[in-house]
Amino acid sequence: MSAYIYIKKEPFTSPKNWPQPVYNFSKNPLNFATIELGRNLFYDPILSKDNTISCASCHLQYTAFTHVDHALSHGINDSIGTRNAPALMNLAWQSSFMWDGAINHLDMQALAPISHPAEMGEQLDQVILKLQQSPAYRKRFFLAFKDSVITGEHTLKALSQFMLTLVSSNSKYDSVMRQQSHFTQQEKNGYKLFKSLCNDCHTEPLFSKYEFANIGLPISKSLNDSGRIKITHKVSDAFKFKIPSLRNIAFSQPYMHDGRFKKLSEVLNHYANGIEWSETLAPQLEKPIDISSEAKVDLIAFLMTLTDKHFLFSPEYGYPKKKLTQTPK
Amino acid sequence: MKNQLRFILLLAMAPLFVNAQLSKTIQIELEHVIGNSKLLNIDSTFVLHQKDTFKIHTLRYYISGIELYKNKQVVYSEINSFHLIDLNQASSLKFSLLVPASLEYDGLNFKLGIDSVTNTSGALGGALDPSKGMYWSWQSGYINLKIEGLSNRIPTNNQQFQLHLGGYTYPYLALQTISLQTNNENNICIQFDLEQWLSKIPLANQHHIMSPSNAAVLISTMAAQAFSICTTSKR
Repeated sequence: MSAYIYIKKEPFTSPKNWPQPVYNFSKNPLNFATIELGRNLFYDPILSKDNTISCASCHLQYTAFTHVDHALSHGINDSIGTRNAPALMNLAWQSSFMWDGAINHLDMQALAPISHPAEMGEQLDQVILKLQQSPAYRKRFFLAFKDSVITGEHTLKALSQFMLTLVSSNSKYDSVMRQQSHFTQQEKNGYKLFKSLCNDCHTEPLFSKYEFANIGLPISKSLNDSGRIKITHKVSDAFKFKIPSLRNIAFSQPYMHDGRFKKLSEVLNHYANGIEWSETLAPQLEKPIDISSEAKVDLIAFLMTLTDKHFLFSPEYGYPKKKLTQTPK
Repeated sequence: MKNQLRFILLLAMAPLFVNAQLSKTIQIELEHVIGNSKLLNIDSTFVLHQKDTFKIHTLRYYISGIELYKNKQVVYSEINSFHLIDLNQASSLKFSLLVPASLEYDGLNFKLGIDSVTNTSGALGGALDPSKGMYWSWQSGYINLKIEGLSNRIPTNNQQFQLHLGGYTYPYLALQTISLQTNNENNICIQFDLEQWLSKIPLANQHHIMSPSNAAVLISTMAAQAFSICTTSKR
């Protein structure tokens, strides 16, 4: 008789050959009960003032947790924000959040949309009061934190735990890197172009070095968004925005901090001949990128290999099986 | 046999008694004063310099990193030392330190606000819980000190002022260190003189501060200068 070995699936594993995550797991050790609680919170409109908007309203799984076809984020009372909801993935490798890096820790990120008047318009202490009234949530918090008294700390940590599990590392690109698959000739050509033109900022394997750059976008007069300078007050940060990852790029349109481009071809056209010079322009973009239309097609073919179907469609990241609160009408 | 067990039990518990004997508590009390009088009721109107009226409805701030000194040497530092002082909550105005019974001190050091490491440590609990209304949501960081109220010095229709002071990154470092000399007693009374502070603030220009800035740093420095050991003649 062979011994029965129970292998517990780890709640989080760093993919092979990836850099070390920057999130400090020792202060918020992941466990399945807390991840499941975080998932419930992520999908529950109870976080918003009028119980109509959840995190998932603007961060949908099928589009890599961004808001497809919506250039700017939406909120309660049909309000519209000023920036494009970013895709949520591989958050454990990021040390600052938002297009301007205003948030210094994943735990604190959710506070911004919860309290923003044009997003969820709620205060954390009110969220806690609402959660505390729900026997189902009290039970889940007890299972997660051994305490049924709900706190801001635990609410935010549970949300972090779920978001930390949103790891996208199963694209065709990844399987080629693991030597389980092969690029087509066109994808190979595109990868070569990517390495020479894009990898400096959209660095493998995360496809971003998660720094801030000015890519010479003409400034929108209506939004007049000067980016990171508002946070650091450094002139050298004017018009810089966080470099987004290119993973799942084919599914996460529209593009740029204000969602101005609907298609990848528009993005490539910007880099080829749309760049406006200014003091803080990324040095890599000082010279126009000379790229033929065939090369653009090859590059897009490569970018399509960054699509991770498992990440986009696996039920483990989707709506929880059981809703914990009834949405009031 | 039974007696033996009792004896062993007693022996096992001995360190508890010893510990209890070897420590004492030092009570720290915060007192808010307007010059020579104690501010008893929040929302009461007071007058400064015979012309400036003030009404404060919110005054909250963090005291952290409490250390006791003897001859300029640290003799005690509180672990996990974060206290949220709220003028609206009488229970927050008093707390105690558990120190070794033999401890002698002649000075007290504390911070007004939250240090930068704590500011970048993610979600924390207790006094630091982000649901306490002392955390900026749109840009990460703790509010070290928050005062809100009304004054006829404010040149707007509603005469409101709201000062949310904080900032943990260069160049807007708002955290203040306060050092006070004390007597070696079991009660330390710290007073925060609002007259001294409010008189210095250029409220006509600076009545609405909601993010780290030069003004926030300057007004934090002014607040720190208004802390002292209580004078006994308050009524």
